[in-house]
Amino acid sequence: MVTGVIETTLSLGEWAVSNDRDGVLTCLGLGSCVAFIAYDPVARVGGMAHMVLPDSTQGRATPRSEAKFVDVAVPMVMRELLALGAMKTRTQISLVGGAAMLPNSRGNESLNIGARNAAAAQAAVRAMGLRVKVEDMGGTQGRTVRLLVRSGEVTISTARNLRAEAA
Amino acid sequence: MADPLGPWADLVNIGTRKAMAGLSQMIGSDIDVTSLTLRRVPVAEISGLFGGPDTEAVGIYLTVSGSADGHLMLMYEPRIALGFIDLLMGQPPQTTTVIDAMGRSALGEMGNIIGAFFLSAIADATGLYLTPSPPTVMTDMAGALLDVVTSDILLTQDETYLAEATFLTEGHDISGVFMVMPTEELLEALLTATKAA
Repeated sequence: MVTGVIETTLSLGEWAVSNDRDGVLTCLGLGSCVAFIAYDPVARVGGMAHMVLPDSTQGRATPRSEAKFVDVAVPMVMRELLALGAMKTRTQISLVGGAAMLPNSRGNESLNIGARNAAAAQAAVRAMGLRVKVEDMGGTQGRTVRLLVRSGEVTISTARNLRAEAA
Repeated sequence: MADPLGPWADLVNIGTRKAMAGLSQMIGSDIDVTSLTLRRVPVAEISGLFGGPDTEAVGIYLTVSGSADGHLMLMYEPRIALGFIDLLMGQPPQTTTVIDAMGRSALGEMGNIIGAFFLSAIADATGLYLTPSPPTVMTDMAGALLDVVTSDILLTQDETYLAEATFLTEGHDISGVFMVMPTEELLEALLTATKAA
């Protein structure tokens, strides 16, 4: 839990950019979803999207979740970040999430939505010529990720283990 | 698509009561469905029912296939899941403190029973052929567990029909939420079949 700051929690398909020095952008409980995080350490502006699905051509746009598709979210966040004063060459990217939550999806590319999201995120970042600083994707666990706008620090946590909690 | 709330509510009502009757048989003890509500909610708000997206939860997940594809997810706070394991294994309350392999197996069996009874009740009412997959029991952040279901729903829509049943069991002070979220495809198949029936 981050205290003394203004935390913006992005739900499924939501996105935000911020130049608020006390701002924190957060995605809670990412499973197969991927958080796209962009930060310019000079302009001290950051952006985040909570992306759910890899490809907008496979689904339908909906008003509540503009950033649900990776191929839509990455350019959208970057456009707004640049409008806030970021420079593309300085912008550091973090990609977090993309877990295989279902055991029987692991190793099966078509069932493993997490792996497809991760691949789409990497492709979208590459297509825009962006530099990845932190990549924590895949695995089998959910993640929570926070971006501190003041410093660009990215913190990632996973679920507490139920056994440990009960012990 | 016409507002499907009424017909879907009827199906959920029948299916949930049958599922709980099946569970009662399994454990040899009465289970009362104390409330059953159906509402349309933004998909993004569902994890709030479990204390938020990063709150730890236990999920029992089954896919539905046959006449239409869909998902069934039972989700519980860890405390409730532990209570269920005691109930299923015929142990006094608070015997189970961790979810081990045996506990997972018991929860999976509960998923099997609930899924099979729920779907067979809906199949009887609609004439559709619906069959559940083997269950997967997962422990993780509620939001991460829900991604399994919500990513499919969000492909084409922002909202879903969420059915919540709360129930009480004799001798065990536990209640839970049985959550049914149909995909658009499943809902349309059910409603078409209901009209034809």
